[in-house]
Amino acid sequence: MRTRYLVAFAQSHSDFRLPELQSISELHDFHIHLPDEPDTSRPFMVVELEDEKHAVILAKRCILIKSIYEFYAQGETYDEVHKMNRSNRHLWEKYIPNTSFKFNVTGFNHTIPQRRQRDVIENFAYMDFRGKIDMKNPEITMACFEEYECRQAPANGLPRKRCEDDGSFKEIFFGRLIVEGTARQLVGVFDVKKRAYFGNTSMEAEISLLMANQTLASPGKLIYDPFMGTGSMAYPIAYFGALVFGSDIDGRQMRGKGKPPGVIRAATQYGVASKIIDLCTFDVTHNPWRCGELFDAIITDPPYGVRAGAKRLGRKKELSEEKKALYFQHSQSPRPDDQPYIPPTKPYELSNLATDLVLLARYLLKPGGRLVFFLPTVTDEYQEVDIHTMMCEGMEVIANSLQDFGSWGRRLITIRKTSNNKYLPPAYRPVAGEAENAHVPAHRDFREKYFQGFNKDGDSLAA
Amino acid sequence: MVRLVTHNLLACHAKDCNTNNFPLVFQNVQLEIREAEFNPGFIQSFLPKIEWNALVKTAQELGDTSLPIDQPEMIDDELLKNLHHVLFEIHIVEGAMICPNCKHNYPISDGIPNMLLAEHEIA
Repeated sequence: MRTRYLVAFAQSHSDFRLPELQSISELHDFHIHLPDEPDTSRPFMVVELEDEKHAVILAKRCILIKSIYEFYAQGETYDEVHKMNRSNRHLWEKYIPNTSFKFNVTGFNHTIPQRRQRDVIENFAYMDFRGKIDMKNPEITMACFEEYECRQAPANGLPRKRCEDDGSFKEIFFGRLIVEGTARQLVGVFDVKKRAYFGNTSMEAEISLLMANQTLASPGKLIYDPFMGTGSMAYPIAYFGALVFGSDIDGRQMRGKGKPPGVIRAATQYGVASKIIDLCTFDVTHNPWRCGELFDAIITDPPYGVRAGAKRLGRKKELSEEKKALYFQHSQSPRPDDQPYIPPTKPYELSNLATDLVLLARYLLKPGGRLVFFLPTVTDEYQEVDIHTMMCEGMEVIANSLQDFGSWGRRLITIRKTSNNKYLPPAYRPVAGEAENAHVPAHRDFREKYFQGFNKDGDSLAA
Repeated sequence: MVRLVTHNLLACHAKDCNTNNFPLVFQNVQLEIREAEFNPGFIQSFLPKIEWNALVKTAQELGDTSLPIDQPEMIDDELLKNLHHVLFEIHIVEGAMICPNCKHNYPISDGIPNMLLAEHEIA
């Protein structure tokens, strides 16, 4: 039998809420029944679950869940709430005779004056709880939320005070606390500032945890990051029990200064060093993987050029025949005092990288495996179809969440390999003979667009 | 820390090096044994991906003869433990991996192999 639960979300990354709920329920193999038209911009959501245990699982693992309540009532007025609450008497009557309790009345985007909090509580007197009131260790906690619109400060005035317009709420929710979310504290545990090793492109803790949840990381899984960098996503994944492989074209990112390598030092700090199977230096477009279908998930934050651009092996400009001959001659008979050879690299354009990444994932993922990565987009130009320009047969987008930075943003894309077919590794070449009127995704040449301030009329740096 | 599970998944990928490019041969290696958490379920599910002959040959070259030459059909606890040790607990910290075919030298330092290709080795 399905029971309704009230989920209170943390006030951040609203676009990531549903994908996270769905991923964690899929990971633990239970169904979560969402409202028909879920509004993820709001902090409360009523969902249906088959078992209270499922609520506990969600609260333990979902970074964006603040707490979960057994749902008793909702309404735009208190009359509606009390009416509904009375009709749900069977849910709470067992607490009437002898259960210690406390009552919380909280405003969202608002502070309810203490006096009215008391009034609200007293209006629930018909529930007739006989147990004693215990503010410290109650057996049950009842919670009543008033949700207020987030009101911007008027252009020429002071911001609204937290207690202004008391009572003009949008909706009320009422329920009994099941479980407080415990995963949010991981955001502090993985705080980049407290990490033994990080770089200027390290991913912030909260987002890397959200990414880790999208990969369904759990013990017994093997997950690969082909743009490992300083390993930001590896730590949460390993913390959730999965084994991690990392590779990067630039080994210095993974090593840092000193020994052991930086990524290993940070992993040791989190107690997960043994979960980092190995780190390798190679260009993912010239990779040494012997076969495909190795990984349960691929997670990555490809460098897209705001801090550092993506690179691949090769030269921007081919060498002249003469120089090529010289190079070849030298590579055959190196001098004893040579520095270690560092091959030349060339830029790797973002839309090509994204297309290649999906093809690579199709080759390297086990059937049902997931590819989770960030794609930067230009807010004004983004269209749904942009994502489809990089898709291929056998792969399906299952989540697409925006982190908005104003004129640009990045989208966390989750793609599932739906096919059981075996695929060849990608050729890493732009598709030859691309149709002239083919859709050009807004993330093409993202780096150039970024540094031109996303000029709409295409004026370059002149503006 | 190149572990043998990694070694078993990597082949030489230089341009036109398509045959006899696996397994890479360890050279001048410095080993370390580090205990790892035993995960029999993972080993069993990953075993189909492992090239048995290459694994046994490489383990022997490194002085570990705990694995039978022919892949047994039945996997018992002892075999799982030995596999665990060979795949996850033997780390190559320094040295190199050499392609048996084109002789490309992939150096390992601080446990991180450098698998980058030179300019003339990429297609």
